[in-house]
Amino acid sequence: MLDNPYHNKTLQWLAYAAVFLLIGIVPLLTDDDFLLNQLATYGVYGLLAVSISLCWGSGGILNLGQGIAFGLGAYGMAMTMQMQSQAPGTIPPFMANNALETLPIFWEPFWNTGLGIALALLVPTLFYLIFGGLMFVARVSGPFFAIMTLAILSALATVFVALQPYTNGVNGISPPTGLVIAGTKIDPYSSTAYWLVFALLLICTFTAKLLTQSRFGLVVRALKDDPERVRFLGYNVAVYETLVYALSGLMAAAAGASFAVLTQYVSPAQFEVGFSISAVIWAAIGGRGSLLWAMLGAFTVQGAQSYAGDAFLNTWILILGFSFILVVRFLPGGFAGLAELLLGRLASLRGGRREEFGQAPAKGAAK
Amino acid sequence: MSGDMIGGFLKIRNLRKSFGGNQVINDFSLDVTERRLQCLVGPNGAGKTTTIDLISGRQKPDSGHIWLRGDDITGLGEHEIARRGVGRKFQIPAVLKGLSVRENLEVAFSRETSALRNMFRLRAPGCDEKLAEVARTVRLTGRLDTEAGLLSHGETQWLEIGMVLMQDPEILLLDEPVAGMTENEIELTVEILNRLKKTHTIILVEHDMNFVRKIADIVTVLHMGALLAQGSLEDIEKDERVRAVYLGTEDAH
Repeated sequence: MLDNPYHNKTLQWLAYAAVFLLIGIVPLLTDDDFLLNQLATYGVYGLLAVSISLCWGSGGILNLGQGIAFGLGAYGMAMTMQMQSQAPGTIPPFMANNALETLPIFWEPFWNTGLGIALALLVPTLFYLIFGGLMFVARVSGPFFAIMTLAILSALATVFVALQPYTNGVNGISPPTGLVIAGTKIDPYSSTAYWLVFALLLICTFTAKLLTQSRFGLVVRALKDDPERVRFLGYNVAVYETLVYALSGLMAAAAGASFAVLTQYVSPAQFEVGFSISAVIWAAIGGRGSLLWAMLGAFTVQGAQSYAGDAFLNTWILILGFSFILVVRFLPGGFAGLAELLLGRLASLRGGRREEFGQAPAKGAAK
Repeated sequence: MSGDMIGGFLKIRNLRKSFGGNQVINDFSLDVTERRLQCLVGPNGAGKTTTIDLISGRQKPDSGHIWLRGDDITGLGEHEIARRGVGRKFQIPAVLKGLSVRENLEVAFSRETSALRNMFRLRAPGCDEKLAEVARTVRLTGRLDTEAGLLSHGETQWLEIGMVLMQDPEILLLDEPVAGMTENEIELTVEILNRLKKTHTIILVEHDMNFVRKIADIVTVLHMGALLAQGSLEDIEKDERVRAVYLGTEDAH
C-alpha cells in the first residue's frame, strides 16, 4: 500500500490548523453582526458534530440523544443569564405567572454566574457518566444503546414541558439580557461572541484530536472493532466507553451553553428527537471518522439549510433525508471518506509517476 | 481448600459448567506447573474451549474454583484476569480488523490499563522496542502499516500470537493456534512456542497430535467435561481409556 496523505498525522494537524485559521479570520472580513451571530451558531453546531464524531466515529457508540447534554447545557446557561438579570430576592416573571412565590431550591445556585456555568457543564456530564456507566457495565451497545439515548431524550423533553412553573414549559426561558462575564456584557451579535465560540470550538476540537491520538484513543478505536478482544488485553472496556461518552457529553453541553448565549433563548425544542438526529446526520455527511470533517458537515448542512431551506421550505427536510440516504449508500465515510479515496488515488498516481521518472515523492494536498 | 494450594501456579478444582442443562464441564480439576507447555486434547465437545473460557473469565463457572498463584480468580471479569497475567488467543483469530497491524500490536501492549492515565499518554514507554522485536518474531515487520483486515489467514494467526506476546502475560491460553497454517508456518510456531515455554506457562488446545508431539511437556485429555488422563505423550498414547475415547469404542452417553 502506498502512503495516503489522508493518514499522515502531520498533514492532518496542518489541515486542522488551516481550517481554523480560515474560520478565525472571518470577523476581520465582515462587520455584519447578524452574519457573525449566524456563523457563530454554525460553530455551535460544528462543536455538536465534533462531540458526536468523538463518540460515534472513534468508539462506534451511536448516540441518537446528544440533545440531552446540549439541552441541559443550554438550560443551565439560560438559567444563569436569567438570574443575572434578576434583582436580589426576586423570582423570574414566568414563575410568578405560574403561581410560584419563592425561587425553587435548584434555581438558587444560578445566582452565582461561575457556579451556574459550572453546573451547565457538569450536570449533563455527570448524567452521561451515570447513565453511560449503567449501560456500558451491563454491556448494552449498538442499536440498543442508541434506542436508550432516544428514550431518555424524549423523557427529558416531557419532563421539561411538564414542569411548567420551574422551566416555563414549552415557552422556554428567554433571559432579557445577554451573558455578563466579569462585568463585561457579551453581545450575542458581535465579534466578541464569535471569538468566544471560535475559541471553544478550537480548544474542544484540538483536545478531541489529541485524545484520539493518545493511548486512550487507541483503546477506544480498538473497542469499536471488537470490545471482547480488548477486554482480554486487560482494559476495562466499560470505563473507556463511559469516559468517551461523557467527554462527548461535556462538549455537547458546552455547545448547548454557547447556543443559549447566542440566541438568548432555550426551550424544549433542544430536546426534540429531530434535532439530535440532525446532529448525527451532520456528522455522517461530513464523515464521522474525522472530527474536522464532521464539523464541516455541520457547517455545510446548516449553511445549506439557511439559504436553500428558505427556498424549499418543508421540502428541505426531504432533501436532507435523501442526501443522508445517498451518503449511507454510496459514501459511508461521508466527505471524509471521499477525501481519503481521492487523496489515495492521487498518491498512487504520483507514486506511479515517481517510479517512471525516478523523482522524489511529492506529498499531496492536506486532507 | 487453602491447604492444598501451595506451590500450584494455576490450580483448578471441581469446576462445573452447564449450558441449558447440558453439563459441559463436569467436576474438572487440573494443576498447571510453571514454565511448562500443557496441551489440552480431547474429542469435539470435550470441553476444551470452555475450560479456556472459564480460566480467562469469558464464562463464569457454576461451581468450583480457579487459583492463579494462590489468588482466587474465579468469577473475576475478563480484564481483571488479563491484568493478573493471563493472555489469550482465540480459536477464530480475533484481531482488530479496522486497525493497522502496528496499532493492533500497540494496543496489545497493555502494561498501563488505566483509562485516565492513558488519556495523557501519546505513547507507552518501551512499546516501540517491544513492537520491533515481536514483529520480527511473528514475521510481520514488513506489514506493520497494513490494515489487519487485509491480512491472509496465516498472517492473522501470527498477528494474534504477536498481540499475546506484546501483552507479555505469565500464562498463555492458546486455542488452536496453528489452525489453517501451512507446514512452514507450523514449523515456525513450534520454534516460537518451544522458546516461549522456557519463560512462560502455556496451556494450548489442539487436535493435531503431530503438532502436540513437537511441543507438549504434559498432555491432558478431556472427555465429557472431565479429566480423563494426564501425563507425557507416550503415557497418554498407551492409555487404554484414551484409545477407547479416540477410537470411539466407548458408548456415547
